Amino acid sequence: MSNITLGRYVPRDTFIHSLDPRVKIISLILLMVAIFISYSTWEMTFIMAGILGLFIFLLALISNTSFRLLFKSLRAMWFLIIFLLLINILIKPNNAEIIAFSIGSLDIYWESIFQSLKIIIRLFLMVSLTMILTTSTKPLDLTYALEWFMKPLKVIKFPTHEIAMTISIALRFIPTLLNEVERIMKAQTSRGVDFKHGKISSRFKAIISLIIPLFIASFQRAEELADSMEARGYDPKAKRTTYHKLRFSVNDLFVFILCGAFMAATIVFSVMNFTIKTPLFVPWLVIGCCLVLFYLFGLGAANARRYKK
Amino acid sequence: MKLKFNHVDFFYGTKAPYLFQALNDIDCEIKEKSFTCIVGHTGCGKSTLIQQLNGLLIPSKGSVFAGDFVVSSNKKERTKKLKPLRQKVGIVFQFSEYQLFENTVEEDVAFGPMNFGVKKEEALKIAHESLLKVGIGESFFKKSPFDLSGGERRRVAIAGIMAMQPEVIVLDEPTVGLDPRGVKEMMLLFKQLHEQGTTVVLVTHDMNLVYGYASDVIVMDHGKVVYQGGPHELFNRSVDEYSLETPLVTKLIQGLENKGYKFDLQKIAFIDDLVDEIVKQRRTSK
Ligand SMILES: Nc1ncnc2c1ncn2[C@@H]1O[C@H](COP(=O)(O)OP(=O)(O)OP(=O)(O)O)[C@@H](O)[C@H]1O
Ligand SMILES: [Mg+2]
Repeated sequence: MSNITLGRYVPRDTFIHSLDPRVKIISLILLMVAIFISYSTWEMTFIMAGILGLFIFLLALISNTSFRLLFKSLRAMWFLIIFLLLINILIKPNNAEIIAFSIGSLDIYWESIFQSLKIIIRLFLMVSLTMILTTSTKPLDLTYALEWFMKPLKVIKFPTHEIAMTISIALRFIPTLLNEVERIMKAQTSRGVDFKHGKISSRFKAIISLIIPLFIASFQRAEELADSMEARGYDPKAKRTTYHKLRFSVNDLFVFILCGAFMAATIVFSVMNFTIKTPLFVPWLVIGCCLVLFYLFGLGAANARRYKK
Repeated sequence: MKLKFNHVDFFYGTKAPYLFQALNDIDCEIKEKSFTCIVGHTGCGKSTLIQQLNGLLIPSKGSVFAGDFVVSSNKKERTKKLKPLRQKVGIVFQFSEYQLFENTVEEDVAFGPMNFGVKKEEALKIAHESLLKVGIGESFFKKSPFDLSGGERRRVAIAGIMAMQPEVIVLDEPTVGLDPRGVKEMMLLFKQLHEQGTTVVLVTHDMNLVYGYASDVIVMDHGKVVYQGGPHELFNRSVDEYSLETPLVTKLIQGLENKGYKFDLQKIAFIDDLVDEIVKQRRTSK
């Protein structure tokens, strides 16, 4: 069960938790773009990946996301990773020149190794970022933010509120359903069902004995919820206010600027074909990184102090 | 089959970022062929406790002994195959009415025994017997379980466990939501099972039932066992200590004893017995 709950919200009192969900979503997108920028040379690619990795590592540190969880997600992707490695190694890249080593008659190029490494790093960074977002933001806040982003669509009579409501109800019921799955599994296990071992036919029966009660219970839940919403006078068309107002603070502005600058920098590096040989590039990069690190470390220290209290 | 808890701790969320200790150093025993009631406030860990009995939850520390089976936090000591244990210790869960899934009531009840290797015809025969015992008549056998009322479904679920013919039957609040007559019928059924040699473990909030049927009581509080013993000692002395409700019979007896009556508590399980006793005493005193 614990695999499914990967990336579940963990209530903590950190800087990242307190940010505006809208800013967090935008920052996620900005950083994702930064992850997917490619550069002219491999050195640049890996240097920038390293910097992004460090940045994300610090974000995880500040938001108190457990690293074990992050690496678990990597473990969950092992199949994908092996598949990518195989594909990349078997297919000879166009511009491949230097052979890393050969297995029998199969030549393996550095190019293909780098290529697969790049994809794996990107995947890992992306998943880590998303996990940091979901573990540090209440699902409900995320839907509020989504609703806010969809606001302009209201002009063309797009049912933004209904969609946000549907999403938030769906999110709300994920843990409930997981609990339900656990409960029914236990009940059927007590009746001699074995979900883990056995023949295909008995495994199939086992799944049926789980799915049917689950469906029945969910439909019942849905109906009850609909009734109780109706009984309390819920009207999707009505103008509504929210208990939690989304607030944009100075911190949010800082984070937004930081992530924006990050993305802008990566784009500039990529477009202008910067390499480590470009004059003055390395010193500026180091200075920039140091500034960001300084800022983040300051936050981390402030956090740690608050935890001790 | 004797059930024994040996210094059992249990934590929820050992893999998740939060941790909650639901059981704290449980050390108690459920006697063979006893009628044991487990009581305590909501959230004190009763359901968690009973799930250790057939290996659905494995103790975080300590061991549970069920006959020859060992469910231990220590992998080396633990019995390898727990499935036979699940046939010997049958658990009827809270809200068991939501576990039905087969096309017909009889097939659903036969599902349990068939999982433990009973042939279909034989299983159906056992299913019919169990269904009749829980008061589900023949007209229901071919119905879909989803067409039944909540109370009827509960009975079918109980029959489903009874059909496995376990040595120990564990019931988690089986009478919640039944009408008073239904409660009485159910309790008489459990009593009958008990008299036929099954060990009955009942989780309940209703102290009148505990007073009337239990041979042993386990009181839990915040994941600990705070009392283990007979029902009379519990209700006569220490009800307030554990903030449990006093059974009606006990209240009556205490009131009457203040007026000079004397009773033999072992003979009185229900209000009816008390009435008989009072009538008898008045007759002899005249
Ligand atoms: N799957 C779970 N994950 C985390 N905590 C749980 C889980 N199941 C139960 N708990 C917690 O463990 C404690 C004991 O729960 P349990 O279900 O054993 O209580 P109970 O005594 O059966 O209560 P009730 O009388 O309401 O049925 C509760 O505080 C509950 O919040
Ligand atoms: Mg319970």
